[in-house]
Amino acid sequence: MKKSLKGWIDARFPLSSFVKNELTDYPTPRNLNYWWNFGFLSGFVLVLQIVTGVFLAMHYKPAADEAFDSIQYIMREVNYGWLIRYIHSTGASAFFAVIFIHMARTLYYGSYRAPRELMWWSGQVLLIMLMATAFMGYLLPWGQMSYWGAQVITSLFGATPLIGEHIVIWLRGDFSVGDATLTRFFSLHYLFPFLICAVVVLHLVALHTVRSSNPSGITLHSRDNIPFHPYFTIKDFYGLGIFLIVFCAFVFFKPDFFIEADNNIPANPLKTPAHIVPEWYFLPFYAILRSIPDKLGGVVAMSMSIIIFAAMPFLDRCRVPGGACYRPLYRVMFYVFITDVLLLGYIGSQPPSATLTTVGEIATFFYFAIFALLPFTSYWENRLLLHREKLPAAALTLIREEKYIPVDQDDKKTDGERA
Amino acid sequence: MKGCSMLLTALPLLAFAAAADASTVPLADVRIAADAGSIRRGAETVVTVCMNCHSLKYIKFRDLLDVGVKRDSLDLWKGDKDLNAALIGSTPAEVARQVYGVVPPDLSLITAAREEGGRYVYSLLTGFYTDDSGNTDNHVFPGITMPDILGYTFASNAKDRHEIENNAGDVAAFLVWAADPDAGVRKKIGIAVIIYLVILTVLLYFWKKRIWKGLDKGGSV
Repeated sequence: MKKSLKGWIDARFPLSSFVKNELTDYPTPRNLNYWWNFGFLSGFVLVLQIVTGVFLAMHYKPAADEAFDSIQYIMREVNYGWLIRYIHSTGASAFFAVIFIHMARTLYYGSYRAPRELMWWSGQVLLIMLMATAFMGYLLPWGQMSYWGAQVITSLFGATPLIGEHIVIWLRGDFSVGDATLTRFFSLHYLFPFLICAVVVLHLVALHTVRSSNPSGITLHSRDNIPFHPYFTIKDFYGLGIFLIVFCAFVFFKPDFFIEADNNIPANPLKTPAHIVPEWYFLPFYAILRSIPDKLGGVVAMSMSIIIFAAMPFLDRCRVPGGACYRPLYRVMFYVFITDVLLLGYIGSQPPSATLTTVGEIATFFYFAIFALLPFTSYWENRLLLHREKLPAAALTLIREEKYIPVDQDDKKTDGERA
Repeated sequence: MKGCSMLLTALPLLAFAAAADASTVPLADVRIAADAGSIRRGAETVVTVCMNCHSLKYIKFRDLLDVGVKRDSLDLWKGDKDLNAALIGSTPAEVARQVYGVVPPDLSLITAAREEGGRYVYSLLTGFYTDDSGNTDNHVFPGITMPDILGYTFASNAKDRHEIENNAGDVAAFLVWAADPDAGVRKKIGIAVIIYLVILTVLLYFWKKRIWKGLDKGGSV
């Protein structure tokens, strides 16, 4: 019975071959470390957010005079409403945490390099969509920080030359953030996750075309691949267990850790909170915005700070295998960058002062300088390490055993032209 | 868009001024109790004293049974109101506005709406003092319109002050409960969830080791 049903489906839909090719037999590099768990974790959190979000939407009222009360209704009257809401509010932070680690891993191991540019770019689109979704979701509790955060962020679009004012009104549906803003943000907050799912499918299709990158930073010989199942299913689930312990510790014991005290005060358009801060995941970008004295300049710098990641495949010209392991300069730059982002995050969380503004300006300069320097440092690494064979023995073994040809497309072309 | 850009530049300045203001008075270094007795005693003070002006609109009379308030005291407090009625203060908002110039804030979420909310409430209630010109003010909230309702400035000896401090601690304990009534249940479930997850994760770890053990060491990386 089971077998004939399978046959019946397979004659009409490639179910067995899909499961075999993309899951059970899907070749995966055996040397993946635990940093490769975070893609799976991002997918898990996405599903978690959608499921909890759907249940929250059953009880939530997207109206300016009802939204705040309806959150309290969920927290106090709905059976385990507090659990659903705290999973969702903590889940937003968890989503950014795993995504940032996922991105940091990609940067460290050079996973954005050919042939994985489209994965990197689709990931970039996902990051921006995630930011938009989180931002709109943060308005929904209709607390003071929700309201004033939305007021400040939407006003940023006013920096657009000529049509800025119209864009702001168009975004808000009103002259200031109000009921119209809340209803449209709710609608889009519900829509965006499904668009994210669609882009995740593209991200995964690209992944299964080029296959996973790995700590060696190069495509491995096929003998070094193992089937995804059971090796990586169990590894991902073990990682999920660790993640859930940390996640649940926040949900059950520190659920208000990610909720600003001011957001427990209903939105009041007439009273500005003392200190408007965005959620922690926007802080580094917020610090960049604030460190440029000119409004338009600040907005451009902030947008650039996110979009610039897309240029990584062009900026990094180094072909040395092993990610940052065998690239001394790139490794230093990576850690300086991470430190710089953390510093910017701290500055973004603080009320501005003369000293902090100066430090913020320097940190902003470093943020972009690292990207600007990369073409030169990576070229230097390529020449000195690769072409002169100054690589450590382990890297040379890697090149030999994996039959890796460490030349990029341009080098090949010149060789071909010369021949 | 001039208004908005002005807003953007003005906000950080305001923020700095207010932050400097708020940080000048440290909150009292007390631990707010979470035991049923404190919460129940705090409930009595809140319902019989605070609710003359303040409301707790997200709390119902029925909810007070959960913290051990006796049914007969509850009947006394609620009068002819329904058991499912919300705790609404006895002064209408308009009257309060005329008397105090402001509507007293709802207290259901007050400890969640302030940093260190429990300690904030305690420090505020015991923060009243009489200045040189004989006016009553508050260390935590300078210029507060709320009267020194527990009578801290009138207490003449250490024993009376101590009693008022205990009373303020109970009020804070009750308000912490009111802001997050499910905290007890949540922590109880949380412990079970974490224990379950730790056992599950340890098992997954050994399962993972066992599966990977079967992998031949043939690869070169």
